[in-house]
Amino acid sequence: MKKVMVALLAGISMVALLASGCANKETVKKEEPVVPVAPITETVKPVDTTDQDRLAEQARLAEQARLAEQARLAEQARLAEQARLAEQARLAALKPAAAELKFQAVYFDYDKSDLRQDARDVLSKNADVIMKSAAGTRVQIEGHCDERGSAEYNLALGESRAKSVLKYLTTLGVKADMLSIISYGKEKPAVQGGDEAAWAKNRRAEFVIVK
Amino acid sequence: MKTWLLIILLVALPVVLSAQPDYIEVNAPGNRQLKLAVEPALSPDGTPATESARQSSEVIAFDMNMSAVVMAESRALQPPAGNKSLADVNYAPWLNAGYDMLVRSELTVKGERLTVEFRLFDVINRKMISAKRYLGSAKDLRRFSHSFADEILRSLTGEKGVFTTRIAFVSTQSGNKEIYIMDWDGYNPLPLTKNGSINLNPDFSPDGREIIFTSYKRRNPDLYRRALSSPVEVPLSNRKGLNITGNWSPDGSKIALALSKDGDAEIYTIEKDGSRPTRLTSNPALDLYPAWSPDGKQIAFVSDRLGKPQIFVMNATGGEARRLTTAGNYNVNPRWSPKGDKIAYSRMVNGSFHIFTIAVDGSSDSQLTADGSNENPAWSADGRFICFSSVRSSGNGIYVMRADGSGQIKVSRAKGTYFQPAWSAY
Repeated sequence: MKKVMVALLAGISMVALLASGCANKETVKKEEPVVPVAPITETVKPVDTTDQDRLAEQARLAEQARLAEQARLAEQARLAEQARLAEQARLAALKPAAAELKFQAVYFDYDKSDLRQDARDVLSKNADVIMKSAAGTRVQIEGHCDERGSAEYNLALGESRAKSVLKYLTTLGVKADMLSIISYGKEKPAVQGGDEAAWAKNRRAEFVIVK
Repeated sequence: MKTWLLIILLVALPVVLSAQPDYIEVNAPGNRQLKLAVEPALSPDGTPATESARQSSEVIAFDMNMSAVVMAESRALQPPAGNKSLADVNYAPWLNAGYDMLVRSELTVKGERLTVEFRLFDVINRKMISAKRYLGSAKDLRRFSHSFADEILRSLTGEKGVFTTRIAFVSTQSGNKEIYIMDWDGYNPLPLTKNGSINLNPDFSPDGREIIFTSYKRRNPDLYRRALSSPVEVPLSNRKGLNITGNWSPDGSKIALALSKDGDAEIYTIEKDGSRPTRLTSNPALDLYPAWSPDGKQIAFVSDRLGKPQIFVMNATGGEARRLTTAGNYNVNPRWSPKGDKIAYSRMVNGSFHIFTIAVDGSSDSQLTADGSNENPAWSADGRFICFSSVRSSGNGIYVMRADGSGQIKVSRAKGTYFQPAWSAY
């Protein structure tokens, strides 16, 4: 269904492109960005001749389109609700595991990815939690940065932080295949604010159960 | 004094207007800048200018002023010069008003159909220099006006203009970091991505039809590719770890990017289909943000191998890297100029970024911005302009300036936060 929709959208945009390409004697740029187009309800060409018939047909088509749109929205809502319930069920299934897995974040110095003593202490506790967790538990270490510096450099720095944490946890005995890393750079701050207090809270590694 | 100016103009104009391929410094010392009047469009029956007619003349005046090749004004004469036909120009009142050149146009809108004809006149020599006619729909008026501004620039300098090009950028207008695209002057913004995730660092293919960008939509910073004409986002590099800061090679065959699949962030090239990763850097430091030279032979990039991020240059096949920036202790975001002579970058000083350009041999390191904080410079295809994101008291957004730092102006129009602009090819 999704594939068909994508193909349909692509088809529509191709036609639109061709049409505009032909219309403009002086085409500046042939392509135009296409915003995802709303699905178009197919309509039947009216074949009647009298005005009254035409108007009636028009009204009928408008009603048809309205009903189709209503049905589409209802279906959309139904699917969204289904997805939400499925997600709820999935999270509920995780809950017993998640409840006992209480992780603490660890914090870093500015532009640094090496572990401070306070971070090592926290990681010892986190390592115990992971090692006592159910088989099949997967924990993702998220590396984060404060708002200073370039977004791109911070993506790399956040990864270095997550890696330092992963490396230390494995030296404490956590199996590497229970762990994965991701860097969000400065894209997901824990707190807003432009002072050292906020920055210190944002230079961190967090722990998320992914499976 | 006036006679003296006139003599200079009489000598200078024929040279300027003969459209030689070489760039001519029309505002060189000893010359005054040429003045261009852009008359609001007329209807075929000579009725007064409509809203769209004024819009068209303002587009051309804005483009030509930004080029700095002429000083342009959207201007109607009062009383009107009194020529109904487009070709039949009463030059005297324009000359008396101090103009050297004149753009006149005729605009017809029938329902959705638009016809517009532009003509460029040499007021001093009383002759037409260029004319173009465009047929399209009403929404094309700005694009057609930009296109005729390109034609004026071509007539005066022999150079191709970028006035019909576009800028892609990241904005949080929707609540998430999504990629948008707009005309170079900030009009007609459109959302490109709508995936609700974090989307970063768009870059155009050399033919301007596609972009690459990094997205977290599958819970990893992966590189995606999509055509502007299609909403389909194709994963291009979803290797373990970072797949970030992609930059398309000038011939379109390869993409340079930073990957961390083998440890820390290193520079690689991949084919345009994402295959055959080739590693170019190898050291324990962070290497990222590659930028191709226009001949495709070299790559500038950011590395903190000496402690703090600095800009380095290496061959596009890898090997020894040379440190480019020596001043400042936080230099990032390199972008190579289309002419190959300079690299634009941003430097952090006391927590704020500023845009700099530096010659490829490391000389002529110059600061171009002074207000607020300014990041991610990107060159226009002709090298005449640089766009960048700015947070400053006169308004946050995407700004455009000339390559020497003059004429800084905010072009993005909607409120919100803006990041990481990329400028399309011609």
